[in-house]
Amino acid sequence: MKIGALKEITSGEQRVALTPDSATHLQKLGHECLVEKDAGLAAGFSDAQYIAVGVEILTTAEALTEASDVIVKVRPPSTSEINRLSSSKTLISFFYPSANEALMELAKSKEVSVIAMDMVPRISRAQKMDALSSMANISGYRAVIEAGNNFGRFFTGQMTAAGKVPPAKVLVVGAGVAGLAAIGTSTSLGAITYAFDVRPEVAEQVESMGAEFVFLDFADEQADGASTGGYAAVSSPEFTAAQLAKFREIAPEMDIVITTALIPNREAPELWTSDMVASMKPGSVIVDLAAEKGGNCKLTVIDERIVTDNGVVIIGYTDFTSRMAAQASTMYASNIRHMIADLTPKKDGVIVHDMEDDVIRGATVVNAGEITFPPPPPKIQAIAAKPKEKAPDKTPEEIRADEIAAFKKQTKNQVKLLAFGAALILLVGSYAPPSFMQHFIVFVLSVFVGFQVIWNVSHSLHTPLMAVTNAISSIIILGALLQIGSTSFLVILLAAISVFFAGINIFGGFLVTRRMLTMFRKS
Amino acid sequence: MEMGFTFAVYVVSAVLFILSLGGLSGQESAKRAVWYGIAGMALAVSATLLGPGFGLWWLSLILIAAGGLIGYQLASKVEMTQMPELVAGMHALVGLAAVIVGFNTHFELVNIASMDDTAKKMLEGFSALLAKKSNVEINILRVETTLGIWIGAVTFTGSVIAYSKLAGKITSVATKLPGGHFLNITAAILSLLSVFWYLNTGELLPMIILTAMALFIGYHLIMGIGGADMPVVVSMLNSYSGWAAAAIGFSLGNDLLIVVGALVGSSGAILSYIMCKAMNRSFVSVILGGFGGTSGPQMEIKGEQVAIEAEGVASVLNDAESIIIIPGYGMAVAQAQQSVSELVRKLRAQGKSVRFAIHPVAGRLPGHMNVLLAEARVPYDIVMEMDEINDDFPDTDVAIVIGANDIVNPAAQDDPNSPIAGMPILECWKAKHVLVSKRGQGTGYSGIENPLFFKENTRMFYGHAKESLDKLLPMID
Repeated sequence: MKIGALKEITSGEQRVALTPDSATHLQKLGHECLVEKDAGLAAGFSDAQYIAVGVEILTTAEALTEASDVIVKVRPPSTSEINRLSSSKTLISFFYPSANEALMELAKSKEVSVIAMDMVPRISRAQKMDALSSMANISGYRAVIEAGNNFGRFFTGQMTAAGKVPPAKVLVVGAGVAGLAAIGTSTSLGAITYAFDVRPEVAEQVESMGAEFVFLDFADEQADGASTGGYAAVSSPEFTAAQLAKFREIAPEMDIVITTALIPNREAPELWTSDMVASMKPGSVIVDLAAEKGGNCKLTVIDERIVTDNGVVIIGYTDFTSRMAAQASTMYASNIRHMIADLTPKKDGVIVHDMEDDVIRGATVVNAGEITFPPPPPKIQAIAAKPKEKAPDKTPEEIRADEIAAFKKQTKNQVKLLAFGAALILLVGSYAPPSFMQHFIVFVLSVFVGFQVIWNVSHSLHTPLMAVTNAISSIIILGALLQIGSTSFLVILLAAISVFFAGINIFGGFLVTRRMLTMFRKS
Repeated sequence: MEMGFTFAVYVVSAVLFILSLGGLSGQESAKRAVWYGIAGMALAVSATLLGPGFGLWWLSLILIAAGGLIGYQLASKVEMTQMPELVAGMHALVGLAAVIVGFNTHFELVNIASMDDTAKKMLEGFSALLAKKSNVEINILRVETTLGIWIGAVTFTGSVIAYSKLAGKITSVATKLPGGHFLNITAAILSLLSVFWYLNTGELLPMIILTAMALFIGYHLIMGIGGADMPVVVSMLNSYSGWAAAAIGFSLGNDLLIVVGALVGSSGAILSYIMCKAMNRSFVSVILGGFGGTSGPQMEIKGEQVAIEAEGVASVLNDAESIIIIPGYGMAVAQAQQSVSELVRKLRAQGKSVRFAIHPVAGRLPGHMNVLLAEARVPYDIVMEMDEINDDFPDTDVAIVIGANDIVNPAAQDDPNSPIAGMPILECWKAKHVLVSKRGQGTGYSGIENPLFFKENTRMFYGHAKESLDKLLPMID
């Protein structure tokens, strides 16, 4: 099949859906790759780089659409782009089907197939094609970089000869993919990072990235995200109130606030109110990643950088991914490449649109002239199920009590064992003759010594231990040697045989042990 | 030489043997310890040869020398991957020797019983010892002898079967005759009856029946145990060979035999205990064969196994700072230890931290992996035990699993219904990346699906371990 990448027509859009690297991977799957002239230029991929890996360059969008079986792009298509498609072609791009019903109807009438990269279900298997996560990751990173660009101080605290510089305090609201990326970037720049999310189960992830989770004084359990496909749900009014109160309390301390809170198919919730902004120090920065959906801060102006009266910078850009076009294109093209790899199960260049496959089914919004949106819920449930209930941490008293109980139990067991053993030996002693008991004492003591000695043997030397015990258990040769001087021929013969066998064992056992031990060497 | 002197030598030997086992607590002291063992054995044998009432010493010397020659050949030729077979084979010899010595004791007893008092006084050495025994003592002697023969015979056939299974001469799948453990119980009861019969009559026939029963038990018991449980089986047989020697020691009234038998017996018992603990299984369940019962359906595994090519593995390894390698029996089967060693050498040359994590039951013999790695010239101070290294996985960039399966199966912790639930395992999935070198998508010896292979940070490096690694080596710069 021929896979063609269009040049993006939206102004300011610098990404591209096919990179020279992803093209080589697609070629390995048996596909041919085409790209519109200068499509990758803004992201730093020149036509020459494409040609070098055997990608054909076509000058116009029309020619490219005509020549390709599968058309890949980044932004949702325009009406004219869909109009150019003829039947049985497949388009892969972001589509936002719930917001673009007209486009969907148009695609239906053109009898094409559309795979929406934003509809890839959030299951483990589909993570490699989850373009929303890839883009969110970049946005999160870039948000911190933009904040740093507008923030007049260091992130990390320093002790210089000229004096002490306090570290910046960063608050990240919403610990989704973008939030976590922002947390990671911010902590690695050295800022003290706080994070908040309505889903309590992400606290562990936040803490694992070196940030501090802001807990609310709120009794009721918030619904966890697993039931909503990993996304946040709308909070109760009481919860929202508690949350705002907490934010109001910490707002004056924060130098940088990055808000990433989005609820699917809704306007962004207002989390950072005007009075919080007013209470912040001059020079503080707010980056509102939810600007496109109205912003988590109502002062945010979409696509603008504004400065409030009290000197707080509020950034409402929506093009963070285009600001990192090379990285974003690489990741998006990778996602597309994985999607096409799943569509090419036999790696023979033949696309199989398998509607039984959960991932492909979920992402397909129009299938050969038929609208298949919204998809049924995936067969496999999303994300990790509930974390296991953890036993509450024990108090020192409880631990102490447990230890005492364990010690008592151990003592009890030991005493029992000793009593039993002693009784057994007494029993034997009361019946057996003294000549037996002499040997028996030797035996019991040897077992005891054996247990004490063997517990200290290093695990790594267990094989040599077996070989050496093998060799010394041939001590049975003594028995045979004592018997070989017998008067009976049969006894001599049998004794001779066992002397011979034991001889093999003694030499074999010791030599192989020695051989093994000489192999062990230090670095 | 006088008897007292011989005993004195025995005491010295016993001390040397204890030191020899105790010295195995560290790699360096072990190199000295093996000489203690050799010296102890040499002393014990020479003292017996020169001791009172000994004849035919030239024949004994020739036989020891001939056996020694074969032993020497075996020890210098054996491949380290074949150590389990060698150890099992040597157990068989000890078992057989115990049976023979036991039978000899019986023959001597019969001989002496037929003598009159004057002839008895003419006797020397072992026979003289027997002749002095009272009736009660003779009965005890008979019990000891039958016990020695019984354990020896079980050890003999058991070890032969273990040897054949390990050497691949017979299938390592657990197979039982129809009737299963009922047959074993019957054989055990018959053995017990034979003991009473023998005590009452002192005839040869019950002795032969007893031996036959024990031989059968040894055969049938080990046939019913599968390949993955071999570490326990071999340690168990090791233990038995010790107890057999101790029992024979009782019947001969020889304290050195008792001491050594007890040492070996307890050593094998401890090894078996360690192995069972490492699989979270009771000794009985291993011996009776098969895994413990499951209480419900196993957890379903979600996701897919993601394959990776040598190029991908190379780039992950080149980027990594800290690496932990987890070898399993599959590495030994593929003879990949040399390639692994070469990989480690290259990675360490780049200044990366590379260590090995060894699970107690990895391989077919306790400590088998350590010996294989040592042979491949991997320094022992980077080879860690499970408990030493398990907490380090979260700080590790890459964990490489080579030919291991059940010992890295997270189901043991996550799935209470898994047959291996509760088994201590290497928590390699906590590393940032996990690379699994494996032949294909099959399950391990226990036949349990491994959720590790489906984890998001796991990549499957399919192919024959040695060939895959050899392909990978040139790409590590």
